Amino acid sequence: MTISRTILICSGKGGVGKTTLTANLGIALSRQGARTVVLDADFGLRNLDLLLGLENRIVYTAQEVLAETCRLDQALVKHKQEPNLALLPAGNPRMLEWLKPEDMQAIVGMLSERFDYVLIDCPAGIEDGFKNAAAAAKEAIVITTPEVSAVRDADRVIGLLNTRGVTPVQLVLNRVRPRMMANQEMLAVDDVTDILALPLLGLVLEDEQVIVSTNRGEPLTLNGSASPAARAYTNIARRLQGEDVPLMDPAREGRTGLRAKVRRMMQTKIF
Amino acid sequence: MKAASPSQAQRVLILPPHKSCHWNQWVPDQRESLPVGSVDLDMGDWSMGCRELTELMEALGREGYTVQQIITHCPKTQIGAAALGFPTGLRPMADTDEETGGAQTDERRGDLRIHRGTLRSGDHLSSEGHALVIGDVNPGASVTAQGNVYVWGRLRGRAHAGAAGNLSARIIALQLRPLQLRIADLVARGPEEPPMAGQAEQACIRDGDIAIEPARPPFTG
Repeated sequence: MTISRTILICSGKGGVGKTTLTANLGIALSRQGARTVVLDADFGLRNLDLLLGLENRIVYTAQEVLAETCRLDQALVKHKQEPNLALLPAGNPRMLEWLKPEDMQAIVGMLSERFDYVLIDCPAGIEDGFKNAAAAAKEAIVITTPEVSAVRDADRVIGLLNTRGVTPVQLVLNRVRPRMMANQEMLAVDDVTDILALPLLGLVLEDEQVIVSTNRGEPLTLNGSASPAARAYTNIARRLQGEDVPLMDPAREGRTGLRAKVRRMMQTKIF
Repeated sequence: MKAASPSQAQRVLILPPHKSCHWNQWVPDQRESLPVGSVDLDMGDWSMGCRELTELMEALGREGYTVQQIITHCPKTQIGAAALGFPTGLRPMADTDEETGGAQTDERRGDLRIHRGTLRSGDHLSSEGHALVIGDVNPGASVTAQGNVYVWGRLRGRAHAGAAGNLSARIIALQLRPLQLRIADLVARGPEEPPMAGQAEQACIRDGDIAIEPARPPFTG
């Protein structure tokens, strides 16, 4: 790795899975050996620490680092099981007004000296929070779901990223339901890529395990879970590292074979 | 922030057009024209994944070149270059407007305003003459012109032709699936049924209403 990669994870619309993707991608990349830091730029409504199970360990934020009241190592929260992964909250929820684009560039500048990947979890919307988060990003991943409103907002965000000269911008399609797609009750993958015209970095199936893992504070990719979403996140990380991993085909996932059914039954916790 | 600033890009290796020859025949000839050292690499229309890019970088490395930056328009190459940890830049296109930057460019020719690239949700293009979009107009984007609106691509947003009241203005698109059409003061919702395949269509005023029909020349005026 010659230089560090700063990747913005954004969507425009809220609740489509930015933070979940950031947490899982952070874990997956660090498990693949890359030194990774996840930067929570959504500090007004910060939950990246919750998803990673690190809420009780946060003492300082990037705000204190820039004010020079603490050192960067003090503010970085190392993950319990994954020493390659660190979390840095951008700010304190009580001090919403402090962050400016220059501050973001300064923080990312410091982080990129030590990490291979800087993943920035962007707040929803396209106002100041987005502008600040995007200020230091070189690349971006836009995440959306197969819903018209999410696609519309993603389209707007892509336009804004283009005018900022952020390249490459890649697409993750989240919460795909193969059966609904097959019945044409949901936008198909082609419909989405047709409008957004971005290279597809990954498809993530709708998966109840995501909810379970979110509430536990243990991202799915952490324990090598075999659930469809965990596999999808791991594959996204591998593609990001330049590996050639074929995309999942929702039409084939929809047809549940006997083996898949049995495997699912084995995974279901009855007790 | 933006990698492709002209001041740094003095030393650029330009890959020959794709299909003219394979790059491994081209690499050894470069030392005659450009002394070895650190360079930017302009990939032209080459589409390369990670593996092929690595091979190319190794070949260049053996010749003594260190690539600082990869300049390309191809998304696949961009992603590959990013995965290998190279800064990527966009090739500055000839005769474009400096301000718009990015992948989208605007220009004017006479009373025609030309926009290259997709108009995305929230974007707006307006022209005091005709407007030509070379690319798609996505849902949520709009084009307004006092003359005609031409879309060399899919029109899925809003279009307003003859904005100053010209009743003979037309809206022409390769694929016409707009949310809403306006010509002069008239408003129409887009058609419900899918458009005819392979047939450019136009919207114009017929008997006081906006009608959609196959596009017919002449397209100017």
